[in-house]
Amino acid sequence: MAWLHTWSGLVVGWVLFAIFVTGTASYYRTDISRWMQPELTETATDPVAAATRAGAYLGRVMPDALGWSVKLPTAEDPAVEVFWWKDQDGPYHRALLDPATGERSKARDTKGGDFLYRFHFELSLPPLWGRWIVSVCAMILLVSLISGVVTHRRIFADFFTFRRDRSAQRGWLDAHNVVGVLALPFHLMIVYTGLVTLAPMLMPWGVQAAYRHDGLRYYTEAGLMPQMRAPAGRPGTLLPLGEIVSRAIAAAGETPETLWVTMPGDAAATVTAIFEEAPGLAHLHPQIAYAGDTGTEYARTGHVGAATRTGAVMIGLHEAHFAAAPLRLLFFLCGTMGAATVASGLVLWTVARAPKGASPAGLGLRLVRILNLGTITGLPTGLAAYFLANRLLPVDLADRADWEVRGFFAAWALAAVASALYPPARAWPVALGVAAVAVLAIPVTDILTVGQARFLGFDAAMLVLGVLLALGARIAARRPRTLRAPGTSIPRTAEA
Amino acid sequence: MTIAALVLNLLLSFSSFAALALSLDRHHRGTFDVPLPRGRSRGLRAAGWSGLILSFTVAVACAGWSFGPVQWTGGLTGAGLAVVALISYRPTWLRAAALAALPLAAVALPFALAG
Repeated sequence: MAWLHTWSGLVVGWVLFAIFVTGTASYYRTDISRWMQPELTETATDPVAAATRAGAYLGRVMPDALGWSVKLPTAEDPAVEVFWWKDQDGPYHRALLDPATGERSKARDTKGGDFLYRFHFELSLPPLWGRWIVSVCAMILLVSLISGVVTHRRIFADFFTFRRDRSAQRGWLDAHNVVGVLALPFHLMIVYTGLVTLAPMLMPWGVQAAYRHDGLRYYTEAGLMPQMRAPAGRPGTLLPLGEIVSRAIAAAGETPETLWVTMPGDAAATVTAIFEEAPGLAHLHPQIAYAGDTGTEYARTGHVGAATRTGAVMIGLHEAHFAAAPLRLLFFLCGTMGAATVASGLVLWTVARAPKGASPAGLGLRLVRILNLGTITGLPTGLAAYFLANRLLPVDLADRADWEVRGFFAAWALAAVASALYPPARAWPVALGVAAVAVLAIPVTDILTVGQARFLGFDAAMLVLGVLLALGARIAARRPRTLRAPGTSIPRTAEA
Repeated sequence: MTIAALVLNLLLSFSSFAALALSLDRHHRGTFDVPLPRGRSRGLRAAGWSGLILSFTVAVACAGWSFGPVQWTGGLTGAGLAVVALISYRPTWLRAAALAALPLAAVALPFALAG
């Protein structure tokens, strides 16, 4: 089954690497978002008053919307994030509001960690395209994982084995086996539960057959959403949203995380208070629905059955919202090992096929080498550019959030093309060196431009990542490449 | 699910994995420079597997049946990575590190059970 593992891994490897890297970064999505909006300082905010102000703002921009959503402020995340839309298919408009004034926040415009999170399963493509591509890659990864375990005959005997003093091919194979096998429970869990998060799109037939065109009723009956109301067709007046928040606090004993308003201008407007996940592995948000005009509770999420709860636990395991800091660090480590498994597998493919002696590399090998370089070294360079753009672009630049994303793709593309044009023997150390310098520039730039003590943790993480990339560049410079013709000098440094 | 419980898990799994690694001739030679004595392998293997079972028991006792296994599995990966790193880069340290982890685990135990 070795051929199945080899080729299934190769064809989707580059996309998988990007999925693993951005997904792993998403474990720290809120920390990234906080770092990218240094203007938002942690302050005690009043969610009741903030909700009323947000409702007033939304009433001005789109009173006849199909829906609004209001993420209420918390001490750690003090901004009020609102969305409004006229059509289910979008466009979805978004704004950050200052909880104290209810006007647009003066904080710099950015997509923050949400960009990486969405890239993880949509690849910055139109949502359905992106999700289908990611799903296909995940299914092939599942094939690759299982065929990899079958192919690996000495899984117990070589459990701890990393022979770095032998041939390059042996070293890469050992590295691939060690990071793959040690984190195998995580790899299997993450790819399977990842497919579960996309299951309603991949396998809609059960719900379609049972509920015809009334898909919402499925979510209501499964206990995932409260009962919805039909529009009344005549205008109504909405209570101040703070009033609903007060009632929700009184009913549930905790402040809701988000308010979801459907048909705010209609007499049958509904305000749904969505609460934090209850402690536990399952990803289930309790909800209470209020009539928008009177503020009376008319529905709440009901009993959740075993199957729905199983699905919710799988999604919960995938997202790891339950994990406190130390366990989250282990999830992060496992995600990094997933990316390392993919990367080492891709490199191994080229090392195993490197021509002996002076014969030239074939077209396929050259192509795989170029794609490996452009993905494995280009993506970290792009991510560094994303963070650097956040600090260096003018705060009041128009479309600032989009420019940060353009910076990400431009740097990635530039790094990939430049490394493809470089002589193959020296491309790895130079490209890794460039990525290291770019990542190391992040903490320096942050301290020079913003310099807040609460960001030192993020800066330290970037320092560690930069040092690891620099070490990688040094190792790549030192290790004689199989491609190198005998007699040429070994480049000693990887400074770019 | 406290830090102490996770640290305890990592320490126990680390010592257990180290024992399992040393029960293999290749790693025993790398660490002690002598081939694995006859009869030693079985003892190390038994110690390693018992340690992993103990680690699982402690994880479930500290964090319950839902978080415990998740935490234990994560701890296995972290501990395994540490053992591989030591074997590859500082093989002679492995025995001392595995033995040192045991009293540390004993210190962490009351904190883990209290938290």
